[in-house]
Amino acid sequence: MVVSHCRRRQDLKTNIKSWAQKNSLWLFHVNAASCNGCDIEFVASLTPRYDIERLGAQLVPSPRHADVLVVTGTVNPLMRERLKRIYEQIPEPKYVVALGACAGGGGVMKGCYNVSHGVDKVIPVDLFIPGCPPRPEAIIYGLMKLRDKISGGSHE
Amino acid sequence: MINWIFQLLVFPGLTFFVWIAFAFEWLERKTAAKIQSRVGPLTAGPKGFLQPVADYFKLIFKEEIIPRNSDKFVFLFGPPLYFSVPAIGAAFIPILGEKGVLSHSYDLLFILFIMAFSVLMASMLGYAAGGRYSTISIGRLVLQYTSYEVPLILSILAPALLARGLSLSKIVSSQISHWHVFYAPISFAVFLIVSLAELEKPPFDIPSAKTEIVAGWMTEFSGRPLAYIKLTKNLNYVFLSSLATTLFLGGPLLPIDVQDEFLKTILFLLVFLIKTFSVGFLIFIIKSALARIKIEQATSLLWVITTPLSFLQLLLIVLFR
Ligand code: SF4
Repeated sequence: MVVSHCRRRQDLKTNIKSWAQKNSLWLFHVNAASCNGCDIEFVASLTPRYDIERLGAQLVPSPRHADVLVVTGTVNPLMRERLKRIYEQIPEPKYVVALGACAGGGGVMKGCYNVSHGVDKVIPVDLFIPGCPPRPEAIIYGLMKLRDKISGGSHE
Repeated sequence: MINWIFQLLVFPGLTFFVWIAFAFEWLERKTAAKIQSRVGPLTAGPKGFLQPVADYFKLIFKEEIIPRNSDKFVFLFGPPLYFSVPAIGAAFIPILGEKGVLSHSYDLLFILFIMAFSVLMASMLGYAAGGRYSTISIGRLVLQYTSYEVPLILSILAPALLARGLSLSKIVSSQISHWHVFYAPISFAVFLIVSLAELEKPPFDIPSAKTEIVAGWMTEFSGRPLAYIKLTKNLNYVFLSSLATTLFLGGPLLPIDVQDEFLKTILFLLVFLIKTFSVGFLIFIIKSALARIKIEQATSLLWVITTPLSFLQLLLIVLFR
């Protein structure tokens, strides 16, 4: 009896936690040697036509306030250390989104001498959004997938 | 005694004001979104109404990072203290009658003290965080404060002069038939401008300028301290709009006399909420429509334009009263 009561309380707490987290994803955007194509599409997804604030997502200025680190571009050696440091500055729980083909695995820069071939070679990545650059629809779809991952189930 | 504590902590005190603060943030984000022809928060709760609540809970459950060169004690215990400042101020606002929960005959002075204290708390928090951006931001905040304090006091003085008293209950009760905003319109405008400066909102968001100094003095805060700071900012919004309601728009009072106690309470509450939300809405519209100005422009605007204007208003009141 007591155990089930405790479990129910635990369940309630996790439910509130996951509901709050998935409805309030604050994004911090890092341009790690991107060509700016992905960045423009990412900003476009904040503008009136797509407006990801509907999902509670918001662009925050400081990594200390963020939940999601959005990385664009192929990470070159100069950015590698900076990216790690920014990742460390984000408080737990945190998620990393690799936006674009470059961030996913090199993209058009594949085989070049000073690229990392993917953000996942530097920091752990939760979600890849492919495309060169990905359309805002793809970004919204990716965000929905991230919400599903947080609530631990499928959206459909 | 128990009744008094209930009034102070639940209704119409702290809890009530916190819920209004959440509603204010939702309204602010929705208004900004509508002006930019977006939708704004939509998925959390009906029409996104629970968005601020979700933000708050998320921040509560997050990790707190304490920077190495920060003052740990102030860093952790400063934010709740900062929160308590407008929370105490809100208890002076008359909602269900002519008197607030805490009220005495010179409470207007105490409210001025509270507003100064809130800036002091903010600068303490910024210095405790110990980052470069916070330090720059605090310099700007204090500069801005020194320029808006004189017009703030002068604009608050106008309703006090009209009511011939320094207590909020006297100011409210003198406005049963005619609101002070009709006799002191310039002071009301100055008060709105100064509230924008106090709230660090555009065009006066110089201390927390996003594109220049990251997030201003809040840069280093995360988790629970950040949740407290965000909540305090919204509570400041509510506090200033309800103060404008009390000083210039007649507070909760009605010109008609209602006999039934219960009905009277409900009517007072409704009137108060409508007025406060209208003032808040006005501030949101001004805020969303304007862009940031430079620090010297802000200082000269506050010193050169608003200060003489509020003096002029005081002079007019003294001459024609
Ligand atoms: S994926 Fe394409 S658009 Fe994006 S940064 Fe790489 S080259 Fe540019």
